[in-house]
Amino acid sequence: MSQFCIQTSALTKQFGNKLALNNFSINLSQGGIHAIVGSNGAGKSTLFRLLLGMETPTSGSSVILGEDPQKMSPQTRGLVGYVNEEHTLPPWMKAGQVVQMQKHFYPDWQQHRYEEVVGYFDVDPQQKVSGLSRGERAGLNLAIAMAQNPKILILDEPTLGLDVVSKQSFLEALMFADESQQVTVIYCSHQMEEIERVADELIVMEQGKLTHHSTPEAFVDRISSWLVDINGHKLDADLIPGFLVSKKIDDQHQITVIDHQGDLAAMIGAHEVQQVPVNLEQAINSFLSKNHRRPAARS
Amino acid sequence: MPKTHPISIQIVTGDARPIFRQIVDGIRMDIACGNLPVGSKLPSVRGLALQLVINPNTVAKAYSELTSQGLVESRQGLGLFVAQPRQLLNQTEQDKQLNDAIETFINDIAYLDFEQDQVLHKVSQAINRITKKQADGG
Repeated sequence: MSQFCIQTSALTKQFGNKLALNNFSINLSQGGIHAIVGSNGAGKSTLFRLLLGMETPTSGSSVILGEDPQKMSPQTRGLVGYVNEEHTLPPWMKAGQVVQMQKHFYPDWQQHRYEEVVGYFDVDPQQKVSGLSRGERAGLNLAIAMAQNPKILILDEPTLGLDVVSKQSFLEALMFADESQQVTVIYCSHQMEEIERVADELIVMEQGKLTHHSTPEAFVDRISSWLVDINGHKLDADLIPGFLVSKKIDDQHQITVIDHQGDLAAMIGAHEVQQVPVNLEQAINSFLSKNHRRPAARS
Repeated sequence: MPKTHPISIQIVTGDARPIFRQIVDGIRMDIACGNLPVGSKLPSVRGLALQLVINPNTVAKAYSELTSQGLVESRQGLGLFVAQPRQLLNQTEQDKQLNDAIETFINDIAYLDFEQDQVLHKVSQAINRITKKQADGG
């Protein structure tokens, strides 16, 4: 098998006129937490559905654990776990019954792992699913997914709508219950503080395309932001290579660029430029809102 | 088995410094001011990751940077320990670090109402304290 556990090649999915996924090619190495960020509608969920074999691509191909997801053997399918934000479970069943039922679908069920993960949450096995909190249902889902002994775990906004305590339990269980760290986790979230804490790799998607893939630090290093004073002249963004976004702050402009090189002051005729630090959230926001000239803040 | 020396650093998300850099800086500071004396044992990768609720790989990355800077050393099967100070940076790198640090410092104090010799006196006192603590700890 190749060193990559997921490979896609020019993967494309069209729904009517809309290209939900557009020539998406990526190689994911085994292990670690790969965070996917992108605006709503960037194609993340379509990608997951294709990887899970729930949709057929319009063109292109993908290989998961050496197999085509559309023709995957049940054994390999069992190695790919999936948890989404809805945390749907049969509401009429008791938590313990759900687990009893799930166990039988997976020959390699790891009871100790189930117990370890569920231990991060306070789930009463006698409680009906309908009576569990959102955080408890999320925990139960994660525990079931991890107990299947997956090689790949796809998490689609799993912490959406969780309170701070459940969210922390979820992240802890995700990072620490898998001691061997052999599971490849694909983690989609809009919450930057989570991504900072958990992500080994950062994948950015825009309009169905892959637009960046590296460590989060390497991504932030590409983005730089500057406060410039151009004496009331109009800012001409076309003069700045790698321009992402500008914001007018009082009588100055804050300009954010990618892969900056050269003398910014000379480019735009500014008499003063000052670099300002950028964090992950600002870097991602600027990157995703490329070419937007933000209106001046109202005072 | 030597006991682990607790680390009291805090990390923040949303900072321009990535988390692994905050850990490196925090531990360096703790070593520099004697909170972590030479020979003390650092928490395990997993232990510090649990404490800070971050990916263990991030802690591993910070530890590996501290190791390559010569601030900590790994002892086979025992863990990571604060190393005997020795200089790994060449003169140019040292000059650069000193200049960067001075610039930050000057920025912080420029608007305060101290005379130059008051500032210099306090700086030299602080350096003496650290040197003494390092001598005691080592």
